[in-house]
This record gives sequence, structure tokens and C-alpha cells, in this order.
Amino acid sequence: MLCGTRIIDRAWTVLAALLLLLACGRTPDLRPVGEGTDRTAPVFPDYRDVTVPCNIAPLNFYYTDPEASRFVTTFTSAGTTVKVRGRDVVWKKKAWARILSTGADVEVLSEYKTPSGPMSFRWTVHVSADAIDPYLTYRLIEPGFEVWDDLEIIERNLDSFDAKPISDWRNTKNKCMNCHIHAQGRGDLSMFYLRGEGGGAILNRGGTLRKLTLRDSSMISPTVYGEIHPKGRFGVFSTNIIIPAMHSYGNRRMEVFDTASDLCVADFDGNRMMTFPDFARLDTFETFPVFSADGQYVFYCTAPAKSLPAEIEHIGYSLVRIPFDAETGTLVNQVDTIWSATERGLSVCHPKASPDGRWLLFTVADYGTFPINHRECDLRMLDLRTGEVLTLEEVNADKSDTYHSWASDSKWFVFASKRGDGMFGKPWFSHVSEDGTVTKPFLLPQRDPHFYDSMTRSFNVPDLGNASVGFDAAEIGRVWREVPAEVFD
Amino acid sequence: MKVRRILWIVLAVAALAAGASQVLFLTRYPYFRKYAAQNGISLREARKVWGHPNEVSETAMGMAVEASLENWQAVAALAKEDRRSEVGTYYYNLSNAMYGQLADKLLDYYQPFERGLFLPVGEHSSPFVIGCASDVWFALGDMSLAERDAMLGMLFSPAHTGSRYLRRLAETNLVKGDYEAASKYLRILLNSPRDRKWAQVRLPDAWNPGYRMLIDEKRAKLPRFDLVHGMDQVQYTLRVLLNSNPSNKMALDYLLCYDLLTKDLDAFVADYVPSLTHSKLYEEAMLIFLAAKGGMAPDNFAHYQISQETLSRFNQFVTIYKRDNGSGKNLTEEFGKTYWYYFYYAVRNENH
Repeated sequence: MLCGTRIIDRAWTVLAALLLLLACGRTPDLRPVGEGTDRTAPVFPDYRDVTVPCNIAPLNFYYTDPEASRFVTTFTSAGTTVKVRGRDVVWKKKAWARILSTGADVEVLSEYKTPSGPMSFRWTVHVSADAIDPYLTYRLIEPGFEVWDDLEIIERNLDSFDAKPISDWRNTKNKCMNCHIHAQGRGDLSMFYLRGEGGGAILNRGGTLRKLTLRDSSMISPTVYGEIHPKGRFGVFSTNIIIPAMHSYGNRRMEVFDTASDLCVADFDGNRMMTFPDFARLDTFETFPVFSADGQYVFYCTAPAKSLPAEIEHIGYSLVRIPFDAETGTLVNQVDTIWSATERGLSVCHPKASPDGRWLLFTVADYGTFPINHRECDLRMLDLRTGEVLTLEEVNADKSDTYHSWASDSKWFVFASKRGDGMFGKPWFSHVSEDGTVTKPFLLPQRDPHFYDSMTRSFNVPDLGNASVGFDAAEIGRVWREVPAEVFD
Repeated sequence: MKVRRILWIVLAVAALAAGASQVLFLTRYPYFRKYAAQNGISLREARKVWGHPNEVSETAMGMAVEASLENWQAVAALAKEDRRSEVGTYYYNLSNAMYGQLADKLLDYYQPFERGLFLPVGEHSSPFVIGCASDVWFALGDMSLAERDAMLGMLFSPAHTGSRYLRRLAETNLVKGDYEAASKYLRILLNSPRDRKWAQVRLPDAWNPGYRMLIDEKRAKLPRFDLVHGMDQVQYTLRVLLNSNPSNKMALDYLLCYDLLTKDLDAFVADYVPSLTHSKLYEEAMLIFLAAKGGMAPDNFAHYQISQETLSRFNQFVTIYKRDNGSGKNLTEEFGKTYWYYFYYAVRNENH
């Protein structure tokens, strides 16, 4: 009788345990993992031996080996030890703050059991005393083909997991919106485009929002790529006739090219667009203009016009520099070639000057101006003091690495990389020291370590800001609906 | 006490009625539920987004569901129920093509010009149409366009996800050998109870001989060289497939039918290789071309495999056409399903 009662009790216990397990949900299936997949490292995100800023949000991660069990992770930093059990390593806020507060590197010991025996390895999270700008903006977009639906631009707080849309489809009737950029990492000086009816360039200067029609009758298109001058009065832009096309073979998928492109300058104070015959020639393409840190020059990419798409593989963009008259907003036709595509055999995109004037970060690819699907697309960093070009092996991966931006103190940069699955761009951060040493980049941490497993949108044009932009999607919705676009002529 | 009992009875009857209504709904519209599930949304959400289904939408969703499962006989059966829609024709043609009968059966059915071969993917296309557009490219072997249309299908789907798109994205990348991209989608599918089994057998280290053979067949059709082309250059894309693999008969038939439905006879003659494919449809088209170019000669009839029967019927057609001064009223019954009739009397609906 007693025995029977015990059996019933045990049965209830087992049943309760089973119910509890069911209630907790299934353990995620982590396969496929290993060589040839998008999960090659034993931890994801791979935070082994990365350098992180002292103000970064907790680095949550998980172990990828689907056969392993009994995970124990021990973090030690200057006498402080934190032990976490389980496959998913999710930090408690206080524990993370405690370990970062030591100011020292974090030594990590990973231990777990695998079918072939126990496994353990040590790694380090290097903690830099250089804090990173606390805000990151990016556009979330499916890697579509020049079409969109439900777009939003997010401002993410980097020292926590807080994020808010600063412009979204809900408030703008599903309008297309292009990426948000800060001027030299400043939260109080930034812009982005809302396209289509009721849209315009949204300019944020000191928290005042304006909607601008940056086009005059002589321009081949509205402004496309560009940047705000450090003093905030002018913006330099390209105007581009952009054509999307498909690759028939391989993994480059879509190509986008210009059949015409010119440079222009917008005077935000005088509501004037300035175009220049020297930079509106039919036989030359000009695109991706940005200012030097001191605002005295404009860097941009240029190529001799070709018949496209027939000659797409032969179009190489060189990186050049011209003087900019910051009093009048004039582009001066004194072209100084910094990187010759003909000599180097690689095409340049997306130059970005560090705010301290020391570095110029840009991407190189085999050809063209749309490197996001070019696996060979890598970052390069030019030392503007010496002219030396650094190849950034620590940073670049076997997939597209591009769309970078600088922190306001020039000590960190962020870039979008398609490393791993090759389809979805994600933000990666790297530290730059005085001598140009760059560190192994780390992926933007998320509260849920499995966040990226199911994410099917790209983080497009991640851009760092030293302060919040101060507006939100509802405010942009109001500007879109109620504020008439200012005319530029 | 009595009131409470009545209340319980009312509630029970209401619950039974609701349940019965739901059962009736699902019996009447089974594909609506399946298509909703393929889009990762519940029935309630599906009704909210797509409204109440009707027989037309049920048939269209049925074709989309069965095509994604490659049940081509079911697709063909549903296509017969269709009410002259572009999607209906698209799946009618695709199911025939899977059995090598695209050309033979082309004009037995409503043909809205080329839009029944390749669904238009543009700003005026409905999300449903976009979500179906990948199927033909996957069957033809162009994984770039199959992937593009699956990605767009997912982009415009209500939940921005769905197994029908994720499966296609996984499989296009498996065919291309891009396991890194495929693993992203396979992982998502492995974590969905509905898709787990499907994904498990597609993990690269779990392929059985049958699946490996299927992938090999698909790989044999892949373009072998890279050309950058416009987003909707269908003929160009098909010619790239054929240049890479001249034995891709399905691509050749699609190209020839595209030429014929767009009434581009010059392109048809340039693309036509009689030794690789043959159909009465092609005989009929060649006769129009030969008659116009003064090429009605036995050598040409032999080269293009034009039978005596087709030639006689063509002469009958021409006789009546001339007698009636180009009026088609006496041709419809006898010749309504010939290419001659299509060529002279089919009019493009400019509203599309």
C-alpha cells in the first residue's frame, strides 16, 4: 500500500516536472552550427577577445553546440567574480555594472559537457576606458529589392537595451524613409529623408525640425547621399539616377548603379540649392560626398561614365578631395586624387572622416557603388596625416563590411556587416587607438541572446550619436502631416 | 437557480454554434486556413487582413498552397476551377509545364498575355500575387529571381514572415550552395513545429539520396555565368538559363510561349530550336511567320516539323479569314484555340 502511494506520488512529481518543462517551452533548436554555417564559433554572438567600451550594455550570448550541456561560465575582473549557469548567458543589470566598474579586462572561463567529453576554454573581454557615444540610429529594413514595407528608424541606447523609433511607417502612412545620419556624431545635428508625398529631407538642428525640398529644376534628381557641414549651415549632396538590376549568377544578388550623378550644395539658412557645372558633367559620375572634419574640404567618389549595366564590372570609383568654401558654400574645382581606382583596381564607396580629422574610413569593392551584396567589400582607413591606408584585417570579414560611422570622439566606429549569413546586415563596433590599431569588432548586444536567430531585417546605416536626437516617430508624423516642405531654389 | 440554468444553456448553445460555425468555415475554406498558416498568422488575423474568403480567393489560395508543396496535380485541378484570373493562369501554365505540356495546353485556357506566365512584381501588384511569383523561377532554375520574389513575398506578407517564404529562401540557397544563408532560414524553420520535419531533412548533413538528387537537378539548371540585367527582363533571363543549360526544356518552352503570347514572332523564330522541343502551337506560329516572309516551302515545313494536318488547317483558317475580310466570327468555334486565332484576335487589356 505504502509502495503504491509512493509510486503515485512519484508519478505526480514526474507529471508536474513534465508540465513545468512544457510550460517553460522548448529549448531552441540551434542547428545548423559549425563550419559552413552562419554559426561557426562556440558562442554567439562571438564576444571572445573583443574590446568593448566601458559603458556598453550587457554582453548576453549563448553557447552554440547543440549537443552540449551543463554550462558554467565564470567571469573574473579585478577580484570580482560572477558565475552564470546555463546555455544562455543573460546578465543581470547589477552584476554587469559590477563587473564593468572594475575598469579592468574581464577574464572568462567557459566550461561544459559534450558527448565526447568535457570542454573548457578561456577568453577575454577587453574593456576600454573610452566610452562610446551612447546612441545608435539605424533603419530596420528587409533586404528587399528597392521596395519597402513597414520601415522604421530606431534610436538605440547603447548602455542599455532601450530603443525607440524616431520615424516609422505607423506615423507616416508607410512612407519610404532613408537612413538617419548625425553630423560628426552630434545628436543635435542630424537628418534623414522621408520620400514620397508630404515628404522631404528632415533636418534636425538643435532640436528644431524642418522639412526641406532639396531640389531645384537644374538637378537630375532630389538629393540622395550627403552630409551636413560641421557648422550646420550647409549640406553637400549627390543627385543620382539610380537603377536596380539583378545578377544572374552567384551571391551578389542585386546590383544598383547610377546612370548619372552630380554634386550640389544646400544652404539651409538661405534655402538655396547650389549646383556647379564642373561637378555636373555627363562624362563623369560623382557620388557619396562628405565634409572633412574641419569643413574645409569635400571628399567624394568619382568615375568616368560608362555604359551600364553592360560595363558594370569595369566601373571603378576613385576617392578624391576638393576644397570647400565654407563662407559661400562653393565647391572648388581643384581635384586631389586620394585613391585611384585605376591604379589600385578597387572601387571606393562611402568615405567618412573622423571628427578629429585624423582618419578617413571608406569601403572598397571590385566595382560599382552598391557594395552591400559584394562579399569582397571591406573597410579601409586612411591616415590623413601620413597618407597611409590601413587594411583593417582585424575588422573585415568574408562578407560585406560597409556603411560605417564615427563616434563623436573618433575613438570608436560602427559599421554594418553581413558576416555570418551574408543576408542581414548587423551593427559591429570597433575601437581605434592613437596609432591606428583597431580591435576585433563586437556585435550590438541584445537583451535576448537569440535575438539575431530570428531577425529577418537588416540594420541599415548604423550611425553613432553623442546625444539623443530628441524627437520621436510621433513628432516626425506630425511634421510629415502638418509642416509644409520648404522650397529650395 | 432557474435563471442560472437558462444562462448556462444559452452559453452552451452559443459555444456550440460558434464551434459549428468554425467547423463549417474550415470545411468550406480549408486553403484559407492553410495559406494563413503559411503566412504565419492566425485565422482571426487572416480574416482581419484579407477579409472573409470567397470561392475565388479560396481557389487562388489553394493553388498557392499546393504549388508551394509541389502538388502539381492538385494545382492543375484547382486551376480548372479558377475564374479567369492571372494567378489561375499562372498556376495552370506552371502545372502543365511540370508535365512538359506548357505549349500543348497553353491556348486551351484564358491567357492574359505574358502575365499568365510570369506574375508582375511591381508597385501595383498585390501582396498575394508577389507571394506567388517565386514559384515559376524556382521551377525554371533561376534561384536569384526565386529568392528575390520569396523575399518580396515575405516583405509584403502580413507578419513579414511565413513558412512559405522561409522555406523557399532556405531552398534557393541550398541549391546555390550558400549554406551560410540557408542555415539562417533552416534554424528559424527548425524552431517552428509546423516546419520542423521539413527543415530537418534539408539540413546539409541530413540529405537522403532522393533530396540530394533533387538538389543536383536544380543545380544543373543554374546559370553558369554572370550577367547584370534589369529587374523584369524575362526573355533575357530565360536566355541566360538556356545558354547555361540548353537542355532546360522548361525554360525553352517558357521563352517560346512568352514570345508567342507577346506576339513577338521574330524573337520566337530566333529562339526556336525544333530539335529540343515541339508542339502544335509552335507549328501554328511558324506558319504565320513563314507565310508572312514567303517561306511556305517543303524544306521549311520539314525543318520546323510542321505536319500536313496543321498545314491544311492553316489553309482553311486563311481561306475563311480572307472570305470574311478579317472578321473572326466564323473562326471562333473551329480555330478559337489555335495560335492563329490568338495572334489575330487577342487584345491586351490595357487596364492591367
